[in-house]
Amino acid sequence: MTVTTAQPPVSPATGPQQPGAAGKEARARKAVVTTALLAPAGLTVVGLVLVPLLLVVRNSFASADSYGGIQGGFTLANYQDLLDPIYLKVFGYSLGMAALNTMVCLVLGYVVSYYLASRPPQRQMLLLLLIILPFWTDFLVRTFAWINLLSPGGPVNSLTDAIGFTSGPTQWIPSQGASFIGLVYAFLPTAIFPIYASLRGVDNSLGEAARDLGCGWWRVHSRVLLPIARPGMLAAALLTFIPTLGVFVIPVLLGGGRDQLVGNLIVTLYTEFRNQPMGAAASVVLLVLMVASMAVFGLAARRLRRKTA
Amino acid sequence: MKHALDTVTAWLARGVIAFLYIPIIVVVVLSFNDSEITYKWAGFSTRWYGKLADNTELLAALRVSAEVALISATLATACGLLAAMGMARLRGKGKALFSGSLFLPLIIPEIVLGVALLSVFGAMGADLGMTTLVLGHLVVTLPYAALIVLGAYNALDSSLAEAATDLGCNAWQAFRRVTLPLLRQPLLAAWLLCFTISFGNIVMSTFTNGVGSTTLPLRVYSMLKGGLTPEINALGTLLVLFTLLIILGVGMRQMRRVLVGGERS
Repeated sequence: MTVTTAQPPVSPATGPQQPGAAGKEARARKAVVTTALLAPAGLTVVGLVLVPLLLVVRNSFASADSYGGIQGGFTLANYQDLLDPIYLKVFGYSLGMAALNTMVCLVLGYVVSYYLASRPPQRQMLLLLLIILPFWTDFLVRTFAWINLLSPGGPVNSLTDAIGFTSGPTQWIPSQGASFIGLVYAFLPTAIFPIYASLRGVDNSLGEAARDLGCGWWRVHSRVLLPIARPGMLAAALLTFIPTLGVFVIPVLLGGGRDQLVGNLIVTLYTEFRNQPMGAAASVVLLVLMVASMAVFGLAARRLRRKTA
Repeated sequence: MKHALDTVTAWLARGVIAFLYIPIIVVVVLSFNDSEITYKWAGFSTRWYGKLADNTELLAALRVSAEVALISATLATACGLLAAMGMARLRGKGKALFSGSLFLPLIIPEIVLGVALLSVFGAMGADLGMTTLVLGHLVVTLPYAALIVLGAYNALDSSLAEAATDLGCNAWQAFRRVTLPLLRQPLLAAWLLCFTISFGNIVMSTFTNGVGSTTLPLRVYSMLKGGLTPEINALGTLLVLFTLLIILGVGMRQMRRVLVGGERS
């Protein structure tokens, strides 16, 4: 260990500000230090996020060479190609799946968050810990866990056999339903955290007060708790809706790869079809969908706020 | 009086929490299944763990993942810390702009970020491999590191570092002996979060990996396309255990602060 004793406090950057040349020099030095501190993160964002995104936008208007690489030029052909019914179906299916997933995650997320928030503080910690573990567990593990469950003759099949719903080995996977369960399972914890964050600490007192004042169960939730949870609900919706569109593992492993999401389309265009300009165009469409859904959510938030105000 | 619907929703909530656990528990249980077929129980056995230890391809992928996660988590945490210190010196519009762009990768679909990086690497003629993989993972982890470190740094009492300077520390000593020790817990949390995000990442890795830099999730994904084996369940069980250790390592209080904000919202 190095022990430095009694260094005189003469650092110009921290000493009392002096007018004139010394002050100017201190300011210049401060600017250099600030720039140096911000440089690594700043360069990462500019060089590895912003510039690459601009390049994708540019590439989406380029034409492909015979190897599927970027040939330059300017064309709208890639976007026109995406208007093919095959691709439109992918976008429609993705939007529907994402909307449904968001809705289910919001409802279940609200129920769990309300349950959590109305427990005693000590219990809340424990329950939160219980939700963190699945949230943190590897994404692939959480996906293939459902292959175990849904295999013909597997646990779910045994259960449905026992209650007489099915008889004998039943093919639950691959299917749209399995794919959907996988999506809900993957995004539910992500949806719970922001809703719980906006509900916690407020539920017990306010909910009870509303009840004491004669509000029924529905009114306690629709008039008091849901408005409080709204910022969290909107955050949860954004954290579910857009990422669902970009998922590609779940539809392949649980859906058998037949019903594709935008994410599958992009991966296929890049890795199998090796059509980079068209892949770029699909990525830009995803970006536009992201911006559009953010605008919709933002607008919805404002309208709801005005309604309650 | 408790409303009947309160009881219903409470049971629904408990059911949802159970729903979160059943698949994980099934993975753990079936990893000890002696049968070749994952879902047909044929007695207790640890043989799949033995097979896992002999799978050189998986072990190589594990090594790649560990290395990439180690490097990118360290870079992300360091960048995040420096950015937090730098942003404390910024004011007004510049600060808002910088923090906005720092969190941009959180909103943009990861698949688009991956495609974007691939385009740049392609345009530069760069070979895909460890370096591109690390850079990709840096993009994905940096916002999380920044989020945690920024929060912790802003919560620090700046008078402590000032006091150290008044008592004769230079800027570096004040940082090294006061600021850094105070930030040890959140920095560890940020690093571990980044490590697990990188370790489990599959979307970004799909676009930035190269020959010889196949990560564990990529390898498992391609194995899964051929069907689930008890061996993969064994690997899954180890990953669940690893997650549990990380959570204990980060500590519950840090975790709650990261995921649902401060003590009271």
